[in-house]
Amino acid sequence: MECRDVREMADSFLGDELLTETNHEILRHLESCPVCRADLASRRELREGVRRAFQRAPDLSPSPEFVARLRSTLQSHVHQTPARRSLRSWGWWALAASVLLAAGLGVAYRGRDWIAATGAVARAAVGDHKNCALQFRLAEKPISLEDAAERYGAVYRVLQQLPPDDVATTAGPAHVLERHACVYAGRRFAHIVFEYRGQRVSLLVTDVTARGPLALPGQAVPSVTSAERIDDVPVASFRTSRQIVFVAGDIAQPDLVTLADAVAAPLSRALAGV
Amino acid sequence: MARQPTPAATDPAWAAFEAEALPHVDRLFRLAMWFERDRSEAEDLVQETMVQALQSFHRFQPGTNCRAWLTRILQNVRSNRRRAKGRSPLVDDPEDRIGLATPFVPPVAQELTDEDVLGALTRIPAQFQEVVVLCDVEELTYKEIADALAIPLGTVMSRLHRGRALLRAQIGASIAPAGRRQSRT
Repeated sequence: MECRDVREMADSFLGDELLTETNHEILRHLESCPVCRADLASRRELREGVRRAFQRAPDLSPSPEFVARLRSTLQSHVHQTPARRSLRSWGWWALAASVLLAAGLGVAYRGRDWIAATGAVARAAVGDHKNCALQFRLAEKPISLEDAAERYGAVYRVLQQLPPDDVATTAGPAHVLERHACVYAGRRFAHIVFEYRGQRVSLLVTDVTARGPLALPGQAVPSVTSAERIDDVPVASFRTSRQIVFVAGDIAQPDLVTLADAVAAPLSRALAGV
Repeated sequence: MARQPTPAATDPAWAAFEAEALPHVDRLFRLAMWFERDRSEAEDLVQETMVQALQSFHRFQPGTNCRAWLTRILQNVRSNRRRAKGRSPLVDDPEDRIGLATPFVPPVAQELTDEDVLGALTRIPAQFQEVVVLCDVEELTYKEIADALAIPLGTVMSRLHRGRALLRAQIGASIAPAGRRQSRT
């Protein structure tokens, strides 16, 4: 590949828009071409400069009054929206309903709200599993649990050690491959990736205290519940006092529940102490 | 008189929308503000976009890029408004009028201020600004940009290529006089 070709494709390379083979050709060229390396670095700097400037410009930001007014306007439109839902959404409704039943919360008014909110969180957890553990294509780069503990609280510190790197279950061993904090669909998760039953399985922990409908009393003994599938991924779930924990992966549902059962009690006890 | 609490707070549709779409309001507004250059227009545009998004939220595919989906709605609203006001459509393509012979001036990003960068961005034609902002700031893929602007993928790529070349040239031009000023002191 010539310098001219690399310059032509440099921005697409930076945007991760090229075929893997083409990326490799460019990388091979860059190894031996300091001029193209400098050009690429300069293009990257410019892109980051534009993004930084745009996001920091004070005259582009919305006023708090507008944001409050917008929220109020949208809420007034809620009951005018059609209540159509696709068949795919039944998966997360099923999970949310089972979590609700396990928690013993039969109050119809709050329960209905909680189901919807839990459903959105469950879908975000599955999205995170797919896009982070399996395909590495998150918009925002994951950070270490240590950094997350500094910024967002001690829960992330607990999860540096728990569950342990090797978890023995009746379905076989689960070994931790990766621990970090990441964001998907606007929600932050502590994300622990296991190798289990020959697959990557995600354990995702997210805070639910900040959202009114989910701030319900936790259970003394966590009870693992499961749905068939959410967006084609089997999921099990349990509540701690301030978090909801999802275990998601493309393995048999009983094996998933077995892993969730194995980690639920110690994790719940440790998280209750922070 | 005290206002009645809104029933929306207990509505499942609102809870899902609140979790998925509302976190993007800040970035959506910045985009609208950049395009409109008028706070009142930007507020109207974002409000209409979010109302439309709420009303068609059942069509949003979970797990896909919600910001890209909202950006597509915003661009639709914007196009419709311009058409209603009798302004030229956004798809007007100025590429024939832009010369390819843009001089290459290597930018020295570490010396740039935010004002330098945004100033240079405002000096390139709007169609190029759009794709550069959607790609570099909003981090949409080429396909998502093509969907949002209702233009072919190839046009996105060529506009990005030329837009970035123009941006580098503008930045080079704005840095050069400053460099000369510094060298005289």
